Amino acid sequence: MRNFILFIRRFFNLILFLLLEVVCIVLIARTNTLQGNNIMSSANLLLGTMYQQRNDVAYYFALKRMNDSLVSENEKLRFELSKHDGVEVLQDSSATYAIPNPDSTAKVKYADYHYRYAKVINNTVGSVNNFITLNRGEDDGIKKDMAVISANGVVGRVINTSAHFATAISVLSKKQQVSARLKDGTVSYVSWDGQSPDKLLMKDVPNQIKVHKGDTVFTTEYSFFPGGVSIGIVYKTALIKSKNLQILYLKPTTNFRRLQYVYVVENKLSAERLKLEQAATGN
Amino acid sequence: MGTLIKNIIRFCVILLIQVLILNKVTLQWWAQPTGFPVFIPFLYPLFLLLLPFETPVAIVLLAGFLCGVTVDSFMNTAGMHAFAMVLIAYFRINVLNALMPKNLSEYTGQTPSVKNMGWLPFVIYVSFLIVMHHAAFFIIELWSMQNIGYLMLKIFASAITSILLILAYVLLFTRQAGSGKSQRII
Repeated sequence: MRNFILFIRRFFNLILFLLLEVVCIVLIARTNTLQGNNIMSSANLLLGTMYQQRNDVAYYFALKRMNDSLVSENEKLRFELSKHDGVEVLQDSSATYAIPNPDSTAKVKYADYHYRYAKVINNTVGSVNNFITLNRGEDDGIKKDMAVISANGVVGRVINTSAHFATAISVLSKKQQVSARLKDGTVSYVSWDGQSPDKLLMKDVPNQIKVHKGDTVFTTEYSFFPGGVSIGIVYKTALIKSKNLQILYLKPTTNFRRLQYVYVVENKLSAERLKLEQAATGN
Repeated sequence: MGTLIKNIIRFCVILLIQVLILNKVTLQWWAQPTGFPVFIPFLYPLFLLLLPFETPVAIVLLAGFLCGVTVDSFMNTAGMHAFAMVLIAYFRINVLNALMPKNLSEYTGQTPSVKNMGWLPFVIYVSFLIVMHHAAFFIIELWSMQNIGYLMLKIFASAITSILLILAYVLLFTRQAGSGKSQRII
């Protein structure tokens, strides 16, 4: 026993060092599952409030830029609205889709989207997994796994909420892949390689599909995102001869460095759809 | 000012600089699609580097862990910064012993600085620990050795920026009082 105590005293520093490193590794391992990061997250009340204060100052200097983005978004909305002129089915914040060949019912309701705006109060682009903190949380109806989009394109997915704040993992993350569609309907997925916030990769596109520079890539309805939100613009294509596939390099349409306002999208029918899909796969 | 209070204030100041300013620096002109990797300069290890000479290793370890966990919770990187900080906290005493001419117990009430170490040893001390910290952090963050050139570039680019920032901080917060006698404010 005496020897044991002597041993502990002699190697106390080494033991403490190893103990703390183990604690760190446990923390890393736990968070990388993306489930248990409530404690270590800027959705936390204290940290959220601090970021809010800092953002209030920075907010003032960004007014001009924000105004520009609002004007351009208004323009886009007017354009969208003009396309639906004379169609009676348009309602507030819900998507209805008229079928060209009517069968027994005239229209199909496959999703009921509700948009809530939120301000970005913290944002990173330099890490391998990037997170965004929003200034609205559960009190405003924001829940886990809702999609986050900006005026220009996709942003990410809500992973963690508190009463007044929410954290979203951005598309610029190795853990976050997005189902994507080309103009001609080819479906694949978009991922990030962790290098530059100006580069996304769309992999596994069959080689025979002709893709041109400047083509836009959209989201699909397969994922939690609403369909047709733009993800990025193709600026380069690369061939993998051995697999007869090509990789598309996309420039994201969202400028992740200058995120100001985003929309959190709730799909009111998603619970029903998820239940049905899970029943079908037998889980 | 007591050493404890001084160190607590320094902890807060360095942390605020790191979290509110440096985390927002994402050097835009380098980050073209095929260009330089994006990185964030890390100033906060300086808190650990400036602890007094005679601080027991156990306290340095706990302080490093605390500092790392605080930065982690701000940056949503649970444990990664803490891991790197505990690592350099453990090796700090060895680096200091190797660099200082006298036994560390003879420097009572002093902290590592340009004045009592000299420029070259101080820069070596800072660079060694910072490179170690950055290497540990980025290896954990990237978690793959596929792209080792990219990893190296990221480590060294970040380390050089961090070292320059740390030297700037040290110069900025050292008061030059009269005949070459300098004293650190925080």
